[in-house]
Amino acid sequence: MNKILNIFLTFILTAFFATSTFAATKVVWWMESSADTDPTVQEMMCDAFNAEQDEVELECVFKEDINDTIRPALLSGSGPDMFDTPGASYIKIYQDAGLVKSMQEYADQYGWQDKLLGWAYNSGVFDGELYSIPKNYETMIYFYNKTLFEENGWSTPNNLEEVESLAAKIKAKGMNVYAYGSAGWQPTHEHLVGNYFNTYAGPDNVYKALIGEKKWTDPEFVEAIELLRKHMVDEGYWSGDLETYYSLDWDDFNNEFATRGSAMLMIGTWGFNVTATNFGETSDDWDWNPLPILNSQAGSAPNYQLATGGTMSINAASKNADGAAKVIDWILSDKERALKVTGSLGYGAWLLPLKYTDADFDPNIDPRQKRFLTEFAEASDSGNYGYTTWTFYPNDPGVHIWKDMEVVWAGDITPLEFMEESQRLWDQARADDALVPVGKR
Amino acid sequence: MPKFLTSINAISWYFLFPVIFIHFFVVMFPSVLSLLLCLTDWNGFGRINYVGLENFQELFRDRVFKKAVKHNIIWTVMFLTIPVIVALIIAYLLTGIKRGQLFYRLVYFFPYILASIVNCLIWRYIFHPRHGLGGWFENQGIDFLAKSPFAMKETALYAVAWVDMWHFWGFLVIIYLTGMYQVDDSLYEAADIEGATKFQKFRYITLPMIRPIFVLSLIIIIIWSVPTFDYVYILTMGGPAYSSEVVANHLYSQAFQRMNVGYASTIGVMMFFYVGIIVGFFAILRRMGWEV
Repeated sequence: MNKILNIFLTFILTAFFATSTFAATKVVWWMESSADTDPTVQEMMCDAFNAEQDEVELECVFKEDINDTIRPALLSGSGPDMFDTPGASYIKIYQDAGLVKSMQEYADQYGWQDKLLGWAYNSGVFDGELYSIPKNYETMIYFYNKTLFEENGWSTPNNLEEVESLAAKIKAKGMNVYAYGSAGWQPTHEHLVGNYFNTYAGPDNVYKALIGEKKWTDPEFVEAIELLRKHMVDEGYWSGDLETYYSLDWDDFNNEFATRGSAMLMIGTWGFNVTATNFGETSDDWDWNPLPILNSQAGSAPNYQLATGGTMSINAASKNADGAAKVIDWILSDKERALKVTGSLGYGAWLLPLKYTDADFDPNIDPRQKRFLTEFAEASDSGNYGYTTWTFYPNDPGVHIWKDMEVVWAGDITPLEFMEESQRLWDQARADDALVPVGKR
Repeated sequence: MPKFLTSINAISWYFLFPVIFIHFFVVMFPSVLSLLLCLTDWNGFGRINYVGLENFQELFRDRVFKKAVKHNIIWTVMFLTIPVIVALIIAYLLTGIKRGQLFYRLVYFFPYILASIVNCLIWRYIFHPRHGLGGWFENQGIDFLAKSPFAMKETALYAVAWVDMWHFWGFLVIIYLTGMYQVDDSLYEAADIEGATKFQKFRYITLPMIRPIFVLSLIIIIIWSVPTFDYVYILTMGGPAYSSEVVANHLYSQAFQRMNVGYASTIGVMMFFYVGIIVGFFAILRRMGWEV
């Protein structure tokens, strides 16, 4: 009887230790939820990762408003092994508080710096160590109704004079110049501010202001805001007038653009998917261009503003950091797979900032989207890039840019007063060591 | 076991203990913490630095906070008048309806049981410049409501308050009606014999008799107006240009957008003191013999 019991216990203990020793390490990843993309990400990323290897088991958890969710989890010393954030300015706060793990040893071990575009890698480096990797990169462009332009003999504009002349022709036809609205996302005002900073004041001046070599109150920035105010309030470029701009949401303005209510749509590259879908239901054709340069000091060629749309990091309290690093390395190691994932999301999400070449692209890719990917890579590689507020601004000045822009449009403060407040908040952020990294230009 | 541990009083405390325990950790502890945080520059994550009364000094320089306080006062005055007057009249009229009264009560109360997001979406759609009433009037060649009142700085606060009042006044109707049904019928019969008009009966019988409920409703309105947040947040986010910003929105923006948790706590403390003053004021009235 004792012998049987011994054999049984030995079996049980062996099974227990074998399970403990050889069980896959579980890595939990909290991701920003988006109803449109979650199923694809689950299938093509999370499930695919688990199917390819059995060393690490990845569990993807999709969360609404990830920043509000992750904050209490990190502060309590728990939370997932990996997590998303909306951008680098949040990482800076987490890093200061010791809530996010340095990934420098993994970056060195796996050679992540060689895989990522230089500016994208640098956007996650704080105090010389890597803390986050962008999940997506984007820039600001404008789409236009190609058929409409051809019918009317309109050319796409290259400078301020051509923009204003084209706008007058579009308005004379009873259409709005640009379709847009902020009802669904109030911070979208910052997209417009960033566009005018980079195409009027110019990326060199923006860079100098970011690193403190120039003041935000310098004339080129104040003039850029004044020009935006004029185009928004006096000219009503966006959906006809300021009040309508405040009232339209994502579906409204995309629909307006696709149904000839407006001739153009100034938006981020996340607009590719919806534009292609909406125009697919009409007989019109569309195309896109980089934003026209509005002032000679902004350079001679159009620039592409650098932006990261969400980042991934490892929790400082994670007990499975090695497993989490393996997940990240798996994601960064296959450009073909990465392009396939983002391609199935219309290149509007999960566009990892990897060093793509022509050969990496699916031959069936829409040539307009391929043109963006290759032109952006060339421009950013050759230094012809600008800066978005949501990637390179610290929190407080970043919120000020979109919250207080409405006050300028309302006429309650002047563009100079607006920029003075901006400078004050930048000075404060600099004093508090709250700035986010800006790679050397 | 000592007798005092098994006394009726002690047993009452045993039953209360779970609630007190939860209340301490969920309400009391964070409240006290907030009192301490208002003296710091904490960003919600890292190091906490003591800054003395700097946040309070900043508060009095903060033009948005001043604007928000003004909007809260306007909000309170609107809620103390429009829905109260309408609810009193409707409740009084309803007391005279014998058949079908339940239907009216249901209709008036219905918006109150809807989630705020539903109420807001209904009204946002109604005032939408393209799909709402404005679009419809435009198709008829009439330039009315062409711009959403939520999008104009002159009207945004009033438009949001309108939506909240639309949702709230039915609640007042129900509590006033309940009070009116408790008034002794013999008073009205006596007034009828004296030849009193309907208005005189309302002014000299109904109103004085429902005073405790009426004053309670005013206290509720004043206190609930302080942390008002959801309707403003959903409909305008405090915009355009802070024209509908209220104190709770400003607090949220400072704590969760600008990451100034210390400063946001200062705003919270000010709200706490304000409510304390209101409650204290009514407590004094009660001590002076007022039926409140």
